[in-house]
Amino acid sequence: MWVKPWNMKEGFLIGGGLLFTGILLQVAIGPIRWELFAWPVNLMVLILLLTAVGAMFALRRSVYAFEWMMHAGAAVPCLVYAAALTILMGLLPQVSTGGMPWLSQMLRFWPFVLIWTWMMMISGLAALNHLLRWKVKEIPFILNHLGVVVAIVAATLGNADIQSLQMTVFTGKPEWRAVDDAGTLREPGLAIELHKFTLEEYEDGTPKRFASDVTVYTEDGKTVQGTVEVNKPLKVNGWKIYQYGYDVRMGPESAYSVFQLVRDPWILWVYIGIFMMIAGALCLMLFMAPKPVRV
Amino acid sequence: MSWDSFIWFALGALLLWAAGAFFAWKEKKVWVYVCTLAGIAVFFAFILGMWVTLERPPLRTMGETRLWYSFFLPVAGIIVYSRWHYKWILSFSTLLSFVFICVNLFKPGIHSKSLMPALQSPWFAPHVIVYMFSYALLGAATIMAVYMLIRKRASASEINLTDNLVYVGLAFLTFGMLFGALWAKEAWGTYWAWDPKETWAAATWLCYLVYLHLRKAKPGEWESACILLLVSFVCLQICWWGINYLPSAQGLSIHTYNVK
Repeated sequence: MWVKPWNMKEGFLIGGGLLFTGILLQVAIGPIRWELFAWPVNLMVLILLLTAVGAMFALRRSVYAFEWMMHAGAAVPCLVYAAALTILMGLLPQVSTGGMPWLSQMLRFWPFVLIWTWMMMISGLAALNHLLRWKVKEIPFILNHLGVVVAIVAATLGNADIQSLQMTVFTGKPEWRAVDDAGTLREPGLAIELHKFTLEEYEDGTPKRFASDVTVYTEDGKTVQGTVEVNKPLKVNGWKIYQYGYDVRMGPESAYSVFQLVRDPWILWVYIGIFMMIAGALCLMLFMAPKPVRV
Repeated sequence: MSWDSFIWFALGALLLWAAGAFFAWKEKKVWVYVCTLAGIAVFFAFILGMWVTLERPPLRTMGETRLWYSFFLPVAGIIVYSRWHYKWILSFSTLLSFVFICVNLFKPGIHSKSLMPALQSPWFAPHVIVYMFSYALLGAATIMAVYMLIRKRASASEINLTDNLVYVGLAFLTFGMLFGALWAKEAWGTYWAWDPKETWAAATWLCYLVYLHLRKAKPGEWESACILLLVSFVCLQICWWGINYLPSAQGLSIHTYNVK
């Protein structure tokens, strides 16, 4: 071990070190509080991460560990740790409070987050390495490795900036106040007027369609008319308005409709990452799979 | 088209697939394609019939996803046959498809017309269909792994076939997962919520990524790669149906197939 070239053993040891460091952090400062990552902290963390990866790439010739990180042998142990922790997360009930110490809030567990961060750095370094070769045949590799980094980093760092509000609107009474998850009153800067809530049912009584005919008025003077339905949100001024609920006791006679208003400033980057990954997966089967060897 | 006629379509398709498998052993290539493709057409006719009758894609219940799985196994089989000319592959895919058809005959799902509003989306069909195709390919890769581990030896072409099945299977697994994310954003406002099914989908995806990178890092170690495929397939099964029996997922998952 630790004899060049490094392969997987070194990676398992480094991963073990990360788990240990994570546990120390967990004991010392408690679970990660993702809400602290709200703008502009997430931007600063992003700049820090990008600088770190850039510096590691620049120093790859003088620091062997950085060079090694770009190889598949470094990816294997990291992916094994990530898979193991994710399996653990799937086996243990995840609850917002209580449950098992540490493992019942896996997303706030330092070792989990450190391993995933390490994975993003490895994937980012490998992507950068292939990107700077400026060759067409490197595109599939770059799409896969950069795509996953863009999607996951944007999703994780952007999470604290997501605004998710609930607004209950009675027919004919325009509403502009909403509540967040903590129950605090918020004003999203738009008002919704409900004209009609529709509930259609199948013959067996199960719901077929929920829909609300609405007019949305924005602070900057826009008026948008439309229908909000399950799977068909209405997009107004950066907000997406979802059909969320109704008065279940009254059914089709419900006097109100509940909407969920979601605003995610980082969504574009998540989508860019996802589409890179889709293109990457297409390349994976068309160009990256080994050529058939016939019997 | 009703579920009662399934046995006749299934029987017809199975006979054609068995004939295709037989001709593969006899090296009558034209008949292999004619029979297998005819069987696929017969089976697909039933799926289409169900689709029209139910007025929704037959993808909602566990039994309906098994229907697609039985369909995609011979599809994957004939693709592999056309590229590698393995004589045995169609026998395997037919046998496996037979097992799933039997499960569906003895334990049919509930097939009512109702489709809850959350599932009424253009993403519904592609999300589930690409997953089922991926499961079929990764199932075939698992069979290859078992085959090589039992014989304790592996030829270059067998390893090559296994790699190919995993590459294409993983690509479809990725499509399924990401189509699901895009759909979830439209339906619930979040693209990823670590719902138990999503957690297991991520775990499965990571396991197959380990395989891909392990094959690059240690090309000679085919045995550990094969064992890894078995572990990955267990994760995949937990993700597909095992999750319904896991205490961690009770009452939480939006992905339950049960109809109340």
